[in-house]
Amino acid sequence: MVSLPQWMGALDRKLLRDIWRLRSQALAIALVIAAGIGMVVMSFGMMRSLEATRDAYYDRYRFADIFASAKRFPESLIGDVRAIDGVSIVEGRLTTAATLDVPGMAEPVTAIIHSLPATGMPRVNALVLRSGRMPDPRQPDEVLASEKFADAARIAPGDMIEALVYGKKQNLRVVGTVLSPEYVYAIGPGQIFPDNRRFGILWMGEEHLAAALNSTNAYNEALIRLERGAAEQDVIDRVDVLLERYGGRGAIPRRDQISDRFLANEMVQLNSMTAILPPIFLGVAAFLINMVLSRLVESEREIIGLLTAFGYRSRTIMAHYAKLALVLSLPGLVMGMMLGNWMGRGLAGMFQKYYVFPFLNYRAGFDVYFVSCLVAILVVLIGAAQTVRKIGKLTAAEAMRPPVPPNYSGGFARLIGKIKRLDEPTRIILRGLVRRPVRTLLGAFGVAAALGLYVTSAGSMDNVDLMTDMLFNQANRADVNVTFAEPRDERVLFELARLPGVMRVEPVRSVSATFRAGHRSRTESLTGIEPAGDLNRLIDMDDGLTQPPVRGLMLSSILSGQLGVEIGDKVQVEITDGRRPHLTMPVADILKSPVANPAIVKFDQLGPIMRETPLASGAYLSIDPNHAETIYRQLKDMPIIAGFSRRAAALTGIEETIGETMGVVSLFNTGFAALIVFGVVYNNARISLAERARDLVSLRVLGYRRPEVSYILLGELALIVIAGLPLGIVFGYYLSRYLTASMSGDLFILPFALSAETVAVAVLVVLVTAAISALFVRSRLDRLDLVTVLKTRE
Amino acid sequence: MRRAASVRADPPEDLYSIRGLTKVYGEGPTAVHALRGIDLDLPRSAMVVLLGASGSGKSTFLNIVGGLDDATDGQVWFEGQELTALGPAELTEYRRNSVSFVFQFYNLVASLTARENVALITEIAEDPMTPEDALSLVGLENRIDHFPSQLSGGEQQRVAIARAIAKRPKVMFCDEPTGALDSQTGVIVLDALDQVNRELGTTTLLITHNVVIAEMADRLLRFADGALVEDRDNADRKSPSELQW
Repeated sequence: MVSLPQWMGALDRKLLRDIWRLRSQALAIALVIAAGIGMVVMSFGMMRSLEATRDAYYDRYRFADIFASAKRFPESLIGDVRAIDGVSIVEGRLTTAATLDVPGMAEPVTAIIHSLPATGMPRVNALVLRSGRMPDPRQPDEVLASEKFADAARIAPGDMIEALVYGKKQNLRVVGTVLSPEYVYAIGPGQIFPDNRRFGILWMGEEHLAAALNSTNAYNEALIRLERGAAEQDVIDRVDVLLERYGGRGAIPRRDQISDRFLANEMVQLNSMTAILPPIFLGVAAFLINMVLSRLVESEREIIGLLTAFGYRSRTIMAHYAKLALVLSLPGLVMGMMLGNWMGRGLAGMFQKYYVFPFLNYRAGFDVYFVSCLVAILVVLIGAAQTVRKIGKLTAAEAMRPPVPPNYSGGFARLIGKIKRLDEPTRIILRGLVRRPVRTLLGAFGVAAALGLYVTSAGSMDNVDLMTDMLFNQANRADVNVTFAEPRDERVLFELARLPGVMRVEPVRSVSATFRAGHRSRTESLTGIEPAGDLNRLIDMDDGLTQPPVRGLMLSSILSGQLGVEIGDKVQVEITDGRRPHLTMPVADILKSPVANPAIVKFDQLGPIMRETPLASGAYLSIDPNHAETIYRQLKDMPIIAGFSRRAAALTGIEETIGETMGVVSLFNTGFAALIVFGVVYNNARISLAERARDLVSLRVLGYRRPEVSYILLGELALIVIAGLPLGIVFGYYLSRYLTASMSGDLFILPFALSAETVAVAVLVVLVTAAISALFVRSRLDRLDLVTVLKTRE
Repeated sequence: MRRAASVRADPPEDLYSIRGLTKVYGEGPTAVHALRGIDLDLPRSAMVVLLGASGSGKSTFLNIVGGLDDATDGQVWFEGQELTALGPAELTEYRRNSVSFVFQFYNLVASLTARENVALITEIAEDPMTPEDALSLVGLENRIDHFPSQLSGGEQQRVAIARAIAKRPKVMFCDEPTGALDSQTGVIVLDALDQVNRELGTTTLLITHNVVIAEMADRLLRFADGALVEDRDNADRKSPSELQW
């Protein structure tokens, strides 16, 4: 026995010795609390860090507020834009698509090339130079490359790459690598996941890019920074008017810029994950601690009665158990904060795999620590106080009387007596469960809650798997997807079809358009799709395979929601490509697609709409894998090809980025859930042991063997765990569903899936954890001292 | 500590043979000598009462002979087999097949009825009586389906006795069986023990603080400070109903 200082009161000595006696249970309690707190701290930490990092990055590198693009406008127009009220900085630039021939890559790499102002560093969308130097304005072939692309394609400053720009081959020398706030989430045209090996961004001197594009003294993009408090929509409207005659495609605010939009979408997802899952984790942890502490305090029944009889005030006794509860939860609080902080930092770092920032501002926030701890402490205190009050009233006299056996003569207990075939140990188990139905149910709920959290955490990967399957196996089935530098007629399709090894070619036409309904409007793309197509199919999340409507518009459920329209409503369509026709079209169908497939018409309807012969802006190809390399080589040499993507590579990209990151998040959550499972099951078992010790030892004395006695204790545990399993699966199912629904933003609708495998593994984890807890408890049971247990009163 | 079990060649006359039985708790200067070398032979079917103050060693003696505790030194033979050389599993078999216990605090399983508490034993015994027979032996035939919470202290103790005798043990160990009961109820309980001893010939070792109870014994053992200080036969064994305290 540890010797304690003299000044310490008797109750405090008891407290310390109790904690030491309960140390293994205390550890299990600490783990559950740590899981609850850790989850909250991790999630908030990660989310807030991403937000803080994004804001600092945008601010420091002057990310544009408005992006305007047109076919081509004169340099002099920049002055007119600057004159608009509320505009602080404007910068014009040239932007073009290109394909690159990168050494070691069979297929062409899609690239975007932006011009750099003559002064070097852009004033809007400034670059972060990561290696090398800025290009020398006198050297026409010098370019900067985006860092992630350079890393993925193994390009270092000094290396040469061959580019096909505007139909002309050029040899470019990469002199530096950079990051840009414009490409936090860098995806190629028409892509939804980053593929750094196959999509790159280059920056080259304005003069040299203008020469390559035959576009001297002209720009095709304007980047605008606003003054604080400027009216964004007014500026956009006035810019649109200015650019109208130059083929303006409709200026967009920052929130519609693709990288920012994905990032915002991610924040929405993180936000809902943070708003839902961690509080539930904390809630479940608190509930379990409450349950465990109630039972713990209840097992002190006699001592509480005795203290009351001695004249201790109930306030003093309550304070004693409150202290016990606090001391028991303290290690969990500390562990949770440290663990959550560490994991949040790690996760925020991992997100940088596909959200590229030059730095990370890690920030969890004092309030997060404070509130989560406060919640945990309050729940723990309430749990302890309720039980102490309940017991304090009852047992002052009870403790002084000879022991009275608990009453088991209720109806159910009688009923169990009627079942003739039961042996006595089984009767002990069943009557124990039935006599305290609330406790039995709470035990089962505890297991169910832990299992539900596990299912939800592990199940998030199922959604990603289903989404990947819908996108890449059911919808997009083309081996290769190419986009053209400019829309072309069917001759280019024949040309592609003639390439040896190309088995099937399907055209697609995409134009940009502003859709209006009442006062609402969205600038999106309008896509013409082949109805008989086999390579690019429309998959509805509820109805499966579907077709573009014979006439009228098919809107994605996301876009129809934004415009507030239903089937049968009319939508104004203002196309900003080609002859820029304006027309009104009925909504013929709504497609519930996992990704924004904004607006769709039948391919052959688009020609008449555009008032031109049917043109294609890209094509889907199915190819013979044996000819792949030859086909890629030929595509690299076709000036018309401005974008290229390969399905297999995109799939790998998803697995490498989303799969890995989500996998780690899911692994962390799963780990927390497993801790909770263990904490619950182990504590249930330990308390049952304490309550049953006397009965069990009596049986040992009567000659029952160890396995026979274990049967009673572990049988009860097993029944509680088994009762919790179906509840947990149902809870997990609905929680996953709710979480999935809340994670859908305006870019994705996450389809809901929960695989039998996930559920099976979750159940297995619970069973294995239960078995391990049972082993621990059984070894304690085997060590119970037969003599002393019987000598003490109940 | 386990040693190779030695078996005596001669058929044992006595049920128990005890030699140099010693039990020491703790070590060094703080060591407590609970038993200091007890030598004793106990015959079959005897009613033996163990007397002594608290801490005299009588309970320790009972626990070791009953297979609940192990000895520090010395030997205990039961029907020629050395108990002190048995391991925990073999001691479980000894308790399961040969001996029974009755405690001061009954130790009934609260969630089982009287009948079911007895059935706990009859289910694992080789040649048990029925729970009903065992309960009627102690006069509880009318309380068979009651739960412990519905029984008085004396009734609970008699269920414990019924549970102890139901497997027809060779030996019954009773540690202060009347300690928690008033004298009237105590007599009823002792009556049940006396009846079992006489009718079934069950060797009974009964611990008590109460000197009066010694008058119902064939033999009296008095313990003091871990030693056996008195061992005498009682020629004039009384029936419990004649006892008064």
